[in-house]
Amino acid sequence: MESSLELTTSLPGTYPPLRSRIFKIIVIGDSGVGKTCLTYRFCAGKFPDKTEATIGVDFREKVIEIDGEKIKVQLWDTAGQERFRKSMVQHYYRNVHAVVFVYDVTNAASFRSLPAWIEECRQHSLGQEVPRILVGNKCDLRHALQVSTELAQKFADSHSMPLFETSAKNPDDNDHVEAIFMTVAHKLKSQKPLVLSQPPGATGALPLRKSEEEERSWSCSC
Amino acid sequence: MSLKKSKSIGASSPLNGIGKQDGDSRRRRKMAEISQALGASPADVAALRRMAISEGGLLSDEIRCQVWPKLLNMHTDHLPEKPAADLRENHKDYHQVLLDVRRSLRRFPPGMPDDQREGLQEELIDIILHVLDRNPQLHYYQGYHDIVVTFLLVLGERLATVLVEKLSTHHLRDFMDPTMDNTKHILNYLMPIIERVNPEVHDFMQQAEVGTIFALSWLITWFGHVLSDFRHVVRLYDFFLACHPLMPIYFAAVIVLHREEEVLDCECDMASVHHLLSQIPQDLPYETLISRAGDLFVQFPPSELAREAAQQNSQQTAASTFKDFELASAQQKPDSVLRRRRRERVPPQAQAQAMVVARPRAKRLVRLAVMGLTVALGAAALAVVNTALEWAPKLDFQLFP
Repeated sequence: MESSLELTTSLPGTYPPLRSRIFKIIVIGDSGVGKTCLTYRFCAGKFPDKTEATIGVDFREKVIEIDGEKIKVQLWDTAGQERFRKSMVQHYYRNVHAVVFVYDVTNAASFRSLPAWIEECRQHSLGQEVPRILVGNKCDLRHALQVSTELAQKFADSHSMPLFETSAKNPDDNDHVEAIFMTVAHKLKSQKPLVLSQPPGATGALPLRKSEEEERSWSCSC
Repeated sequence: MSLKKSKSIGASSPLNGIGKQDGDSRRRRKMAEISQALGASPADVAALRRMAISEGGLLSDEIRCQVWPKLLNMHTDHLPEKPAADLRENHKDYHQVLLDVRRSLRRFPPGMPDDQREGLQEELIDIILHVLDRNPQLHYYQGYHDIVVTFLLVLGERLATVLVEKLSTHHLRDFMDPTMDNTKHILNYLMPIIERVNPEVHDFMQQAEVGTIFALSWLITWFGHVLSDFRHVVRLYDFFLACHPLMPIYFAAVIVLHREEEVLDCECDMASVHHLLSQIPQDLPYETLISRAGDLFVQFPPSELAREAAQQNSQQTAASTFKDFELASAQQKPDSVLRRRRRERVPPQAQAQAMVVARPRAKRLVRLAVMGLTVALGAAALAVVNTALEWAPKLDFQLFP
């Protein structure tokens, strides 16, 4: 698996200067919801032909440009099985700038697990002050839908998160997957006008307090 | 640094640069030795372990079918029937196993017809559920399927089932606890080993706060998850089956040390170092690395690293959770499950071999080089084997005089 996913990172020529900003985003959710496919799709621009279970944590990154500024987006793709999350993944919650929760729209159980994932984040001090989004993946499989948009939207609203329904597989959805992560990046950029890439060892996520206005503008859905 | 030196010495050892003809005759000789060890009554397991460790390992899958069971001290005269498929719906891990096996396409030889592969995947599911069902104390983890598939492809379903069960209650036991705390603890051996050999790389990795999760899939799948060439995977399995259960972590350390220059050239942050190390090169010099892992095991045996491994946990406590601290206090000793099974008697020969190496760091470089040669000649391999005997599954006790 590593071999095919290698090209997801460090595209030659697009490497930003050393002090460019880094946005670190952790992607979590149940096993098999498509975390690896989503992150691969964003970083490599295509659906991976074969993915396997993620063991531990995989890392992908992409350099994007917002308003003329080059920003490195780091995606930390995590194992879904509970035993990994309990004792292995903790290390990767540190210094995270944003969280992407993923569920599978054809798997109600993966949706029901979301409160546990949110709680998991809260325990690692990633609460509402950190940008979080909810992604319902596999919406190309309409015939197998188990989680309605309405239900998901209600849940997202109750946790002040924007909801995106998408498909990492659907070839027409490329822009959409891209747009989702770009939305997060824009949000982070607007929140962190001055913070440069953190030196190793820096602690704490975002030292910010959000105003009511920001909260509203963030909560819009796709 | 020091490993670099030993590599150049290793390169001039008689093991490397052998011509094809020479290689063929060596291979034939080794096959004869293996069959002699197999033919002895009882089978000469210590000799088989040496064969599995030394250059080229067990050479072919036909040989592996005969030798792997011996390395786990198993009689294979009466194999049980095929695992029943009726376990499926009822097992708590069924869905996770199904999910992982269905997407494990890469583990099967490229070009295998789909229906054949699908048949093997069904067998894989059956084996896993069979072992889990018979051993309720064992818990499935993602990656276990990567190990089981290797046994299935080499041994076939029935033999794989019995061997995997034995392996799961021994070498893999710590990974199959309800939590991964013991797995994490075994990972804590990685940095102390690296530190002994190359403090610069160690310090760099500590400064980057890279952690050890990059090596998690290496450890718990015995590298089956990350190596794409099946021949390399089975070669490593020969080695690991013949050795102490902690040998995979020594091998992980050797890979990191082999890449010392890349590591030190890397940006010193978690993401860069994690990314570099988790992308394992596919063209590793396996025989050299195996021999080095054996060297390191003899020089820095687990007992010597245990205290530091335990401290790795407490060091993390400040940044991590209270749970780590509990773990560190509760487990003064590593690999607790394995230890519990340990026989009280320590083979004096293994002890003596380990003592050959002195502690002072200044002498490290020279000594590593010397050990590199001795592994090639089989002396240190013997010490590794003896330590493995101490940990080997105990059922067929009489095999060890």
